Amino acid sequence: MKRYAYYLSCINESMTKEVDRSIELWQNDFGIEFVKLHEGTCCGGSNLEYVSPKHFALVNGRNIALAEKMGLDLIVSCNTCLMTIRTAKKALDESPALKKEINDILKKEGLEYRGTSEVRHLLWVLVDDVGLDTIRQKVKVPLKNYRIAPFYGCHILRPSTVLGHDNPVDPTSLDQLIEALGGQTIPYKHKNRCCGFHTLLVAEQESLNVAAEALQEAIESKADFIVTPCPLCHTSLDGYQAKALKNAGVESSIPVFHISEMIGLALGYSAKQLGIKRHIVS
Amino acid sequence: MMASIDQHKEGKKDVTFRVFRFNPQVDSKPYFDDYTIPVERGVTVLRSLNYIKEHIDGSVSFRAFCQAGICGSCGMRVNGLSQLACTTQVWDVLAKSREPEVIKVEPLRNLPLIKDLIVDMDPLVDKMKHYSNWVDSIMPEAQMGKKEFLISEEEFLRYDKATDCILCASCVSECSILRANKEYVSPAVLLKSYRMNVDSRDSLHDHRLAALVQDHGVWDCTHCYRCQESCVKSIPIMDAIHGIREDAIECRGKKDTSGSKHAEAFMSDIEKKGKLVEATLPIRTNGVVWTLQNLLPMAMKMIMKRRTPPPPPLVKSAKGIKVFREMFREMTEHVKQDHKSHKK
Amino acid sequence: MKPFDIVIVGGGGAGLYAAMEAMKTNPALNIAVLSKVYPNRSHTSAAQGGANAALGNKAKDDTVEMHIFDTIKGGDYLADQDAVNVLCTEAPKIIRELENMGTPWSRMEDNTIAQRPFGGATLPRCCYCSDKTGHTILQTLYEQCLKKGVIFFNEYFALKLSVSGSRSKGLIAMNMKTGRIEAFAAKTVILATGGYAKMYWNRSSNAAGNTGDGQAIAYRAGIPMKDMEFVQFHPTGLRKSGLLITEGARGEGGYLLNKDGERFMARYAKEKMELGPRDLVSRSIETEILQGRGFDSPAGTYIHLDLTHLGSDLIKSRLPQIREMSMQFEGVDPIEEPIPIRPTAHYSMGGIDTDNFGRTVMDGVYAAGECGCVSVHGANRLGGNSLLDILVFGRIAGHTAAEEAGKFAPGMISEAELAEQYDAIRSGMHSSGRYERYGELREELGQTLALNVGIYRESSLLQKGIADIAELKERFKKVRVIDTSDVFNTNLIQVLELKNMLDLAETVAAGAFARQESRGSHTRTDFPVRDDANWHKHTLATMVNGNVTLGEKPVTMGRYELQERTY
Repeated sequence: MKRYAYYLSCINESMTKEVDRSIELWQNDFGIEFVKLHEGTCCGGSNLEYVSPKHFALVNGRNIALAEKMGLDLIVSCNTCLMTIRTAKKALDESPALKKEINDILKKEGLEYRGTSEVRHLLWVLVDDVGLDTIRQKVKVPLKNYRIAPFYGCHILRPSTVLGHDNPVDPTSLDQLIEALGGQTIPYKHKNRCCGFHTLLVAEQESLNVAAEALQEAIESKADFIVTPCPLCHTSLDGYQAKALKNAGVESSIPVFHISEMIGLALGYSAKQLGIKRHIVS
Repeated sequence: MMASIDQHKEGKKDVTFRVFRFNPQVDSKPYFDDYTIPVERGVTVLRSLNYIKEHIDGSVSFRAFCQAGICGSCGMRVNGLSQLACTTQVWDVLAKSREPEVIKVEPLRNLPLIKDLIVDMDPLVDKMKHYSNWVDSIMPEAQMGKKEFLISEEEFLRYDKATDCILCASCVSECSILRANKEYVSPAVLLKSYRMNVDSRDSLHDHRLAALVQDHGVWDCTHCYRCQESCVKSIPIMDAIHGIREDAIECRGKKDTSGSKHAEAFMSDIEKKGKLVEATLPIRTNGVVWTLQNLLPMAMKMIMKRRTPPPPPLVKSAKGIKVFREMFREMTEHVKQDHKSHKK
Repeated sequence: MKPFDIVIVGGGGAGLYAAMEAMKTNPALNIAVLSKVYPNRSHTSAAQGGANAALGNKAKDDTVEMHIFDTIKGGDYLADQDAVNVLCTEAPKIIRELENMGTPWSRMEDNTIAQRPFGGATLPRCCYCSDKTGHTILQTLYEQCLKKGVIFFNEYFALKLSVSGSRSKGLIAMNMKTGRIEAFAAKTVILATGGYAKMYWNRSSNAAGNTGDGQAIAYRAGIPMKDMEFVQFHPTGLRKSGLLITEGARGEGGYLLNKDGERFMARYAKEKMELGPRDLVSRSIETEILQGRGFDSPAGTYIHLDLTHLGSDLIKSRLPQIREMSMQFEGVDPIEEPIPIRPTAHYSMGGIDTDNFGRTVMDGVYAAGECGCVSVHGANRLGGNSLLDILVFGRIAGHTAAEEAGKFAPGMISEAELAEQYDAIRSGMHSSGRYERYGELREELGQTLALNVGIYRESSLLQKGIADIAELKERFKKVRVIDTSDVFNTNLIQVLELKNMLDLAETVAAGAFARQESRGSHTRTDFPVRDDANWHKHTLATMVNGNVTLGEKPVTMGRYELQERTY
């Protein structure tokens, strides 16, 4: 049983509870265990970085240090949390002064940031550690009748100097996962584009336009559903879908799944178990 | 002997360039023309287009000037990605091409199309003017030429990378928000604005910042990092955007705009609970009226689906929040100290 | 359109400085800048090294006088000494002025503008901003012009100076976006369109548009061109594009190898080897190529600049730009294999004859920058003096035009004159019997110039070159413009540019043939030494009845007597 420290993203604790619930269901099937980091705190959601760069380093240095204390890699299932924590890690690894400054504070809690744990996305663990062969073997209900639009989202790809797993111009890991689960991926131009989530509260119209474009392409390509590795993308594409499409004058809809749910379905868990009923678009 | 090695390395391939065509005088809509030409290793996309223009079809229209990656004229989309044709090697593009030996060449996005691969740059220039993308020197014109400003290397480094920008508009073409709204300031203009705002010789900082925080300004950026990823000069454009936001909060306060309120909410929630209180985020960002008008119908649906974020009292604090808070506040003291010593 | 007080043609360093200075001199004037590209695209941006000014930030004992002497000596005593005086005296002031208005400069430890050594300068006086000095200066000037509200006509192509007797009435230009021919009636016109070295085509490091448009329209209007035979060659241009690989590559220990793998510089400069002076290294490479020791390729014969022995670490840390350029433009990684190079034309010393105030012989017409020839560079320009030239004389021309605009009555350009231009263009597209391809002619022009009017010149070669150019001019009459559309017709523009290059090529070849001596960049194998008795003078090329006629003009001397030029 391979173990990982699992970062609890705020949104998965509130609006998208189904993500973590699904992972709990199937983790043992793959011989992996995600140990929840209850002491972890909010990563700052791509805002703390400029509101206060030093608090940003402290908060995320601490998040990583908690995993390091357990001797485990830190696994994240939200793109933005991933990008944010990796950005902080890069800053800490590149600046001994900053590292010392936060470690002096972290001492209080008996923590130390050393830089020994990797910060990785759930998707990367599945593709790289579990492996596509294992995934293929475990599939009980292949998704073979489905045409699936893979929506990667931004912060699992860009900035590539921080992420670096997939080619940001032509990513493949999510496509590989879908195919391993027996699904059929469609060519999808929006696969590496934006969902608009981060400006939903500040520039709503623009955000809705961004989301609508991605939804429209999937609908026009006759995809059965969109799948995304990010709960923020999910919220924008599912939660705001009706509004976005209405805005764009489109009278149609398309379901959006998390990767954790898609895996659950292929492994034979029911939609109810996986919490799929909680989606706005069904 | 060496000559033969060279011959071997040259190699040649037949490559098809699928070129976007549109002449507003005769075409009702754009189409693509295929041109297949032999291309040896070492040839750029621009040289290939030149070859096509000179030998096959003189009407293929595109801009090119320095052909050395410094003037920024030949920005275009090569296999979907905005870049300079003159610094892009054909064989490198082919290595990643979906369709073997085919390269699709299209005009930049988010700027009005003039003809074939040529787009209108005027909207970008107009935005540079709107956001005062120049240094308005604190030195009166009559005094100029007599004495240098003394500028530290440290200050120079703050705008060094930003002044690499050649206005090729690749970032403009890739921007997610511009795609959604052409009024948006644009990454290149944000970058230039940042460069001016950190220059101690400039007197327009406050004025420029006031323009940047308005609608279609710095807070509309959706952090997609497409601008930075496509920058032909590898400029960290998002650092500049973050820099303007940091500056805006510092100079204009946390309550200045919905953007700053939104950003600040993260800071205060983390300090209090270590977790984001999502339920009240819309209200704290945009106020009660906006939230009721914009989110109420959706909230109803979400309640039905039991998808609403928990109200503030029910948001559980992170485990060990007490020590965390102490540490967080200790860092606040550090930051205060930094500010004091910086101001000196 | 109401008549302009000043129309500036060209939006590079000289044109933009002229615009700014003219507005400063008289804010009431109606000023326009025309440019065939957006001004920030201009070739000024390609100047990496820097601009010379005796600020004394780096070498405390530097003086304007030393800068003057270095410039005169570097120009092989052909520069006008009063003009050099102006250039070097104004230098510190103009660099500070640029700094004051916001140009980013690299900094010294004491926070003053950074300076570094440059070829031909006694002391380090080249002010720089990393390796992007021209780019940052151009950006600053463009930004300042936007701030001042300069009226820009971007993507306008200058077709003709409209002339009445001894004075100009203004300019006729084509709006490239619409194809319309438009009149710019103006009291004064400043030509600042840059150099003409692109006539060597892919044997040139210049931008594709450095086709001498300003010089050509002035030449056709009867204004004399000065010292056109002086064209500077840089030893190491990339084979395919002509783009420069800077001296730094050899400075770090790169070898020049011929096809036998021999470090041939041993034969030409035993001690200095690859680090000999630019003109000597250029001539040596050219000799290797001419004597059959180069590599053949479809893009022409070349030799190798080999850095592979320097190792990956050194190349990555010290020569990253050179590596990037080799990979982007040649597809060659210098860590793994040698870079194919050959000498490349990169600067034109000659240009429109002007006085120290930017005036030409025609009333109301001024010129500045590489487009003009004051002359401050003489027979050979020093590194770091080209940016300085465009700034100093751009400003002076702007000032002079603003002061003198009031002297001239506004011109009137007739519809008939516009129609004549339009008809000429249309006939290039539609008249029968046109079959020549402009691309071929352009290529052949570059070829013959490089071979016969290139680094080595000699009577019979030059005669061949002159004959070739004449033949190309005949064939040009049969060139067909394939794109017949009005909107952004780049095909048409390139044909018009070729015409400009052909006209000017004639003056370059004629001057080179006439000048029976070797001086600065002009090397005659049949006249290998400088001949001050007969040739210490400028050549003037004037168009008379469609043909080039050569005249001369004395060199203005001053404090410095003629001396042999040795380093």
